[in-house]
Amino acid sequence: MASNPMTQFNVHRIGPEIKIGTFDISFTNASLFMIISSVAILIIFNLGSKKNSLIPNKIQLLAELSYTFVSKMISDTAGLKAKPYFAFIFSLFMFVLFCNMFGMIPYTFTVTSHIIVTFVLAAFIFIGVTIIGFMKHGFGYLKLFVPSGVPAVLLPLIVVIEIISYLSRPISLSVRLFANMMAGHTMMKVFGGFVISLGIVGGWLPLSFSVALTGLEILVAFLQAYVFAILTCIYLNDALNLHH
Amino acid sequence: MSKDPFKTRLEIAKSKISKKNLYNKKDNPSALGTAFKLSTELVSAVAVGTIIGFIFDKTFGTKPWFILIFFFVGVVAGITNVIRSAKNMQK
Repeated sequence: MASNPMTQFNVHRIGPEIKIGTFDISFTNASLFMIISSVAILIIFNLGSKKNSLIPNKIQLLAELSYTFVSKMISDTAGLKAKPYFAFIFSLFMFVLFCNMFGMIPYTFTVTSHIIVTFVLAAFIFIGVTIIGFMKHGFGYLKLFVPSGVPAVLLPLIVVIEIISYLSRPISLSVRLFANMMAGHTMMKVFGGFVISLGIVGGWLPLSFSVALTGLEILVAFLQAYVFAILTCIYLNDALNLHH
Repeated sequence: MSKDPFKTRLEIAKSKISKKNLYNKKDNPSALGTAFKLSTELVSAVAVGTIIGFIFDKTFGTKPWFILIFFFVGVVAGITNVIRSAKNMQK
């Protein structure tokens, strides 16, 4: 039994070691679970959209519900202008959701509990949104950093504050997902360890706790994927509809 | 004649759905989502400010000063972030 609750986050190599220059690009358990979740998404949505019957079966219902959920989320937060980016946000939401949910199965590996994974996702979003903003508004996008109605004396300070708050977006986006997933899984492991160490006499209380925590973690897994996607929509909204 | 009852049933179902949506607007998942958002918003701005100060100190060799200034600017930026998202929540 792994007594250390952090051993579940260890990345280890599967198969041979592959190196390009000084970079180690071997196949690990993290890459395995990323592939598993991507393949699961592909299978579910291929099966769900194969035959469009009027009365949907369960998989078709799942696919259609998630489609309308994401499309409603985009039109609510970012408006009609964000419709072309539906495919990106949908795949982002599905990938994060499936990675989180696969992590809930015992003996699996949670990809999103590593900050480098979430930070790469967030950095992609950040760079992409910045490029979209500059493409749509040119250098007028820099007006985002200059709020209207500010006295000229305070302007340098305000601009610095705005730039810091803009740069903090990818960090807050990635840290939120990573911290929620890691904290939840560590807590579940700790309570599971209590069940073993307290034995059959005192183990019932931590056991009931970990049952409740499992429910909470499933909620958090969904919610964090939702927050990740909706914040992408909000940032996209800032880039598309410039207003301050 | 055969179409009419279906149409009325459709109308009733549609009105029910729109009522339900109106009701559900208050407890949709975005409320809890934005609550999760607030905590990291504050911390990340402070972290970014401190990192920028640290980089400036490294390049200009003015050891404690930029990190001090940018730490506090980061705190201000974090509080601005929190106030901004709290305002968005009230909308």
